[in-house]
Amino acid sequence: MLAASIGIYCAIFYAAQQSFPGGFELTSTLNNTMPLVLAAVAQTVVVLTRGLDLSVGGMIDLTNAIAAISLGTTPASMIGWSLLILLIGAALGLLNGVLVAIGRLQPILVTLATLAIFQGLAIRVLPQPGGAVPDVYTNILANTSYPFSLLYLVLLGILWLAFRRTSLGVAILAVGNDEPAAKANGIDPVRTKILAYMLGGTLAAAAGLFLAATSTAGDATTGNGYTLTSIVAVVLGGVSLFGGRGSAIGAMLGAFVITMIVNILFFAHINPLYQEFYEGAFLVIAVVLAEGIGRFVRKRG
Amino acid sequence: MLARFLPSVEGRRILYAYCAAVALFLIGEAVRPGFGSAASIEAVLVVAVFVGLVAAGQTFVILIGGIDLSVPWVLNAAAILLVTSSLGQNDRAPYALALTLGMGALVGLANGLGITLLGVPAVVMTLAMNGIMEGLTLGLSGGLTCASCASYAPPLIQQAVHGHAFGIPAALWLWLAVTVVVSFVLSYTTFGRSTYAIGTNERASFLAGVPVKATTVALYMLSGVFAALAGVMLVGFGGQASLGMGDPYLFQSIAAVVIGGVYILGGRGHYIGTVAGSICLVTLVSVLLAMNMPDYGRSIIYGVIILVLLLLYGREAPES
Repeated sequence: MLAASIGIYCAIFYAAQQSFPGGFELTSTLNNTMPLVLAAVAQTVVVLTRGLDLSVGGMIDLTNAIAAISLGTTPASMIGWSLLILLIGAALGLLNGVLVAIGRLQPILVTLATLAIFQGLAIRVLPQPGGAVPDVYTNILANTSYPFSLLYLVLLGILWLAFRRTSLGVAILAVGNDEPAAKANGIDPVRTKILAYMLGGTLAAAAGLFLAATSTAGDATTGNGYTLTSIVAVVLGGVSLFGGRGSAIGAMLGAFVITMIVNILFFAHINPLYQEFYEGAFLVIAVVLAEGIGRFVRKRG
Repeated sequence: MLARFLPSVEGRRILYAYCAAVALFLIGEAVRPGFGSAASIEAVLVVAVFVGLVAAGQTFVILIGGIDLSVPWVLNAAAILLVTSSLGQNDRAPYALALTLGMGALVGLANGLGITLLGVPAVVMTLAMNGIMEGLTLGLSGGLTCASCASYAPPLIQQAVHGHAFGIPAALWLWLAVTVVVSFVLSYTTFGRSTYAIGTNERASFLAGVPVKATTVALYMLSGVFAALAGVMLVGFGGQASLGMGDPYLFQSIAAVVIGGVYILGGRGHYIGTVAGSICLVTLVSVLLAMNMPDYGRSIIYGVIILVLLLLYGREAPES
């Protein structure tokens, strides 16, 4: 699916610009997709436990807003605040995780409520779009000349593969697959879920930092769209919404498919007002296709 | 009295929700004298009608363990479709009304078919549908710049929302009628009992001969129609349509259902509770407004209150 969308993208790009996409397009596409990639991985971790995190958008809003007002120009300030913001993300995730796991509440309701809280806090922190992100910060996280993002992407992929083999990674998949069985095998579902939501929050905060770096300023509402698109990326990436099955690598590819679709729509001169329509329609088609292929494979096997 | 008609736990929850609504009015009166006056209560209740209508559809789908995330843009599309098809003329109003409610039913049909026949999870299907409706609405109306987009709602519909009958606003009469019909359907018809059965155990209902798929599709259609009806009422109330007018209603409709004691995984709860939930929610917002609470503060308090209510009675049974 990614190969097909890249192929269509190149074809339409060529038709529109009379040249094939080059290094600049590669770099800008990678930079613009990084926040979504991180949001998609955040969503994956939670979805794998059979949850759903609607507050991803709110966490990105809040961390992006904090980054925009607090990042200073000295290296100490940049590194210090970045780490602090990642910690804040973990704390937001902790809140979700505690409510879901210890409070025994439905993830969708909890995160809908915390979404409202996080969005409110984000607007409190940064009432108007603004703030400033130092150039150095942008150059490190979202360099426009060199595809540094490719490095981050590969790193994220490798980290995921390693994470999946850790005891927490195995526990997350086990809890999503069959909670009673996981519990019977000595896995603590409450602890696992809380840690999964915390990891999701940290990754969402990283998405907020990358978003701040790419846009060089902050906006307390730009993160909103990431709730929907992160779910779309997860579904496109073949992660089961019923938990226990799927890989963050798939979700990362799903994020790129979404960016490709947006690019295709742009270069095909399709009215941007219809963008949501195509994204929605594509989501349904992807889910139906994934389900159909799954059924076909099961019948054969 | 209410408790006699309902299983005790649910009856009590609904009673709590009504008590909370009264308490909120009393708090409002304490914060800002005059909040509890008849005129003020009337104004608050009229605003609650819009939430209550959307929440009626939401109650139906949540009772079978589903959810409808497509209400914001179905409502918005309905409001815009009403003004663009009626062009503010009374003689076109019936046609426009039928067209708009039909649109709501059609979207619900698509949701229901996607969920039952294609097997798409309700969250994904209705979330995607919200995007589809947003794209279609923005695209077809050119971002609400089309010539007919600035039309007003037909005077007939405006009067129907603003008018009074026997000293009570017409909108409240409509809500009362909806409440009676929906409650009757849920409590005393085969359709209503099927809804509870599916929400309690889908497989057992199917084996017992309940038409699960047809009922599910019908419920999503009802949700679409109620969202469209709320859009019609809202545009009749405000006069003109605007973009994003449906956005608050997703959160509010789900919150009203939860506050009203409907179990989010289906099978338990009643629209009478949702009515109380809608009144509570709108009263709360009005109290916060009366206290000059800024937007962000309201958003935070909203979220906190939903969480508190969930912790009070939205919890899943502990694992054995």
